[in-house]
Amino acid sequence: MEFIWDVVRDALEVLSAFGGELREVIWLTLIVSGVATAIGVVIGVPLGALLGIGRFRGRGLLTAIVNTGMGIPPVLAGLLLLLLLWNEGPLGSWGALFTPGAMIAAQALLAIPIAAGVTAGAVRGLVPDAHETIASLGLRTRGRVAVAIREAWPGVIAATAAAFGRVVSEVGAVLVVGGNVEGETRVLTTAIVQESRQAEFGAALALGIVLFAIALAVNGVLTWIQLREPR
Amino acid sequence: MTGLVLEAVDRPLGSGRLRVDRLEVPDGETLVLFGPNGAGKSSLLRIAAGLGGRRHHLAAAYLPQRPHAFRGSGARTLTLGLDEEAVARAEHLAADLGVSAVLDRPARSLSGGERQRIALARVLARPDPVVLLDEPFAPLDARDRGRVASVVARSLEGRTAVVVTHDLETAVMLGDRMAVMVDGAVRQVGPVDEVVRLPLDESVSGVLGAGNVARGTVTAVDLPLAAVDLGEITAWGIGDAAVGDGAAAVFGAEAVTVFAGRKTGAGSARNTWPGRVEGIRPLGRLVEVVVDAGVPVVALLTPGSIEALQLHVGSAVTVAVKATAVRVVPR
Repeated sequence: MEFIWDVVRDALEVLSAFGGELREVIWLTLIVSGVATAIGVVIGVPLGALLGIGRFRGRGLLTAIVNTGMGIPPVLAGLLLLLLLWNEGPLGSWGALFTPGAMIAAQALLAIPIAAGVTAGAVRGLVPDAHETIASLGLRTRGRVAVAIREAWPGVIAATAAAFGRVVSEVGAVLVVGGNVEGETRVLTTAIVQESRQAEFGAALALGIVLFAIALAVNGVLTWIQLREPR
Repeated sequence: MTGLVLEAVDRPLGSGRLRVDRLEVPDGETLVLFGPNGAGKSSLLRIAAGLGGRRHHLAAAYLPQRPHAFRGSGARTLTLGLDEEAVARAEHLAADLGVSAVLDRPARSLSGGERQRIALARVLARPDPVVLLDEPFAPLDARDRGRVASVVARSLEGRTAVVVTHDLETAVMLGDRMAVMVDGAVRQVGPVDEVVRLPLDESVSGVLGAGNVARGTVTAVDLPLAAVDLGEITAWGIGDAAVGDGAAAVFGAEAVTVFAGRKTGAGSARNTWPGRVEGIRPLGRLVEVVVDAGVPVVALLTPGSIEALQLHVGSAVTVAVKATAVRVVPR
């Protein structure tokens, strides 16, 4: 028990010191995971709504791909992107490997299927009368998708929360394509891995507490948005 | 525009099949689809709307059976999918239907009747020449029905329409012709009055009940009664109508009493008409008697009564209907 208390005390010390290094890591985490979530939502939510309302060829296949994507191991997504961005890879000339851009791309790959899958479920779960009435509005596909998204609003917020939760907590993808370069591509999760490996448990726990606080704050805001929408 | 034609419909419906070879609605006419629950009326209407297949191609202004109230204000639910001109029409219709005042409230907080009227305004405002309404008055209070019905009737003028209902008054108010559906098939199609008066067989009369629908003009009002001039006779019945209105007198065949011979002042019945038996035919366990009293009047009697009254084609009779058994339906 003594050990645990020591770690907690160390963690609190790290937090109270709150140096520039920690600030940088937090900042990069928010940027990378925030932008990746945004991309995931902007692409994934309409895609999911389309899957939820749509009657089109290939819907089953697309749904299967999305559902599989929801469970893809982050490290595998990172590996696939690594192969693309590697010097001799098809996109090697971009020189994007080991940059925050690559990390955003990797996390967006994880966020899109989550956002799409949760949204599709929410839209499919709308009462049949809602589907029938949406079909009766005479809107083009884009319009029907927009109406369905608004109608499934709490589900869309849940999709956003799930996407952010997925990317902010993952370590495999950002580690593989970002490389955990101190001051450049180090985020909270990769920093925790680093500190743990070096037995700097106080620092690791401090980073963990920050990560948890971020998750709490983001979900607090999302919950507030979710409940604010008039019924 | 050439109206609406449904052809070669054959698909599963519950445990049976929905089978319609051909059902035509001439341009500008309103067809009422009448029948019990599960007869396939709504399914047929969805097919007409273009929503019956795997792919949707909305081909008409279509009011689903339970239109959804969307998130946001009533005004949003009113105007979704409408262009600028249609929005203006929808707002007018909403005013006529008495829901203008609730449009800024959240649609989901509105009553079923208010939601239904908003949905009706949206659908009727659409520019499509074909209008399809599934049970348009079902969630409405009896007190709102008349007003809503007259707005709908006015909006359907000149348009081709199909209205699903299992309410005879709605059918009489809106329909030019009526198709009776039973077990996924159309059993009888014809003018509303004719189908009501002369159901083809027991499957139709069982759904509709044999009855009388006679059209004319309101000539007198003695609240709560109104008198409808049917040509040679006048029928008194219950209903909100003004002198000069077009209206139909609707009454069930079982409400008609038949006396042998010519009788005057028969009891308290305001409607006592002399006539002559025109036809007698069995309808299930009862017998349908058609009396020519200036207009055809259908009565349902037991075989025993037929015998006791010694009725046969050509018999002079008097028919009587209590005014309280007659509904005066504006048209």
